[in-house]
Amino acid sequence: MELVTLTVVLVIALALFFDFTNGFHDTANAMATPIATGALKPKTAVLLAAILNLVGAFLSTEVAKTISGGLIREGEGGIRIGPELIFAGLIGAIVWNMLTWLLGLPSSSSHALFGGLIGAAIVGAGFGSIDFGVVLSKVILPALIAPVTAGVVAYSATKLAYRITRRYDGKPDGRDGFRYAQIFSSSLVALAHGTNDAQKTMGVITLTFIAVGVQAVGTGPELWVIVVCALAIALGTYMGGWRIIKTIGTGLTDVKPAQGFAAETSTAATILASSHLGFALSTTQVASGSVIGSGLGRRGSKVRWGTAGRIALGWLMTLPAAGIVGALAAAVAHLGLVGIIIDAVVGVGVILTIFLISRRNQVDHSNVVSEVADSGRAVKIKRNPKPKKVKK
Amino acid sequence: MIDWAAFLIVFATSLIGATAIVSLYSLGLRLLTTAGRVPVVAPAEFTDAITVITPEEAAKAAKRAAKAARKNPLTPAQQNLARAGAYVCFALCAGAVLFGIYLIVPFFHQG
Repeated sequence: MELVTLTVVLVIALALFFDFTNGFHDTANAMATPIATGALKPKTAVLLAAILNLVGAFLSTEVAKTISGGLIREGEGGIRIGPELIFAGLIGAIVWNMLTWLLGLPSSSSHALFGGLIGAAIVGAGFGSIDFGVVLSKVILPALIAPVTAGVVAYSATKLAYRITRRYDGKPDGRDGFRYAQIFSSSLVALAHGTNDAQKTMGVITLTFIAVGVQAVGTGPELWVIVVCALAIALGTYMGGWRIIKTIGTGLTDVKPAQGFAAETSTAATILASSHLGFALSTTQVASGSVIGSGLGRRGSKVRWGTAGRIALGWLMTLPAAGIVGALAAAVAHLGLVGIIIDAVVGVGVILTIFLISRRNQVDHSNVVSEVADSGRAVKIKRNPKPKKVKK
Repeated sequence: MIDWAAFLIVFATSLIGATAIVSLYSLGLRLLTTAGRVPVVAPAEFTDAITVITPEEAAKAAKRAAKAARKNPLTPAQQNLARAGAYVCFALCAGAVLFGIYLIVPFFHQG
């Protein structure tokens, strides 16, 4: 019983920490483009995103059952997921989230969570416990489809935005007005994120309670679970994953207000459509695809495919890498109490190491876009000669 | 396997939704400038860039833009019409945002 209690406490702590990493990992999805275009000041942007995530977490009533999502065969004739497997899976997800954050890669937090849980389940219950057909159709194929879809939508939207506002007579084109719209479009993305992602952690904690028999099967998360999860994701969002914001906002292409608005609107439309028409897509992948698409849609802007390739590689690695860490952790956890403690100590050690490495070259609100602003200035003066005086 | 029909619906919906909103907002901005609106954000000729120019440059640019705007070929009535059209476009966009919030909050559409 002591072992179970300790494990449950550790699972809750880890789940909340995962929620926190999820928050700062995904700030970029909503706020990278408004920060890059100067529509919102970096600190204002993360504060807005944090508040919307907090509100969003309370709005939704979706619960635990979506977490296992059929990936792991449970129930009648299936396996029983013990808290030690969830614990191992969470370690896999967190380690991968921290590593991708260090590299500034926007990877899907849910894929990391799925990967960790899958890896742990394979070690705990063998390959038979995983439904690979579901993994392919629910995780891997959408990962290919999401960025392409969002990219095409954002490309069309950007083309239209520029086409409609283009003026040949040298008078103001009013494109500065896209800045205001960006605030709304990115807020929608942040709110949608809050209603989805905080749910995952609530689901994991609830799943654990059900697994150890504290909570009845089929019940929703307890109120205190909802509150702490909402706070954890909001705090994580407020910390801001500046490295990832830098990658999406300035690494893929130089985002201008009209592009940013088109990209954010495409992200919001794609996410809302996918979550309401039963074809779930990852927020991270949709957001990255949108930025690339909008980069292709503006004349004279170029997409840095090297960065895009690195991001895509990160996506491919997410599931197996988190799975391997999850599997290792599950194997150690099999030793019992000692194993769980070893897992916890090693996990904390890895997180601390990554954090210490990140201190070497810090990216935060003060320097997240300054470089691009400087280079933009140099390019701008060359590319925008003084406008001809309109003589009448 | 993958539900292609569902995917196509999602694709079409996102494409139509996003392009419609972006077009409406762009049209609104276009109509506003037609009606003679002077850009508020500093660099008039760099409307599309990150604001890193000096305040003096910005003031100069704003002056130039204001001068250009004064030479509006439209009559006041036409300007008002354009402005009204712009506000209609923005109102439709606001409606789209509200619809988005409606979709995000389950309380509204499941209750």
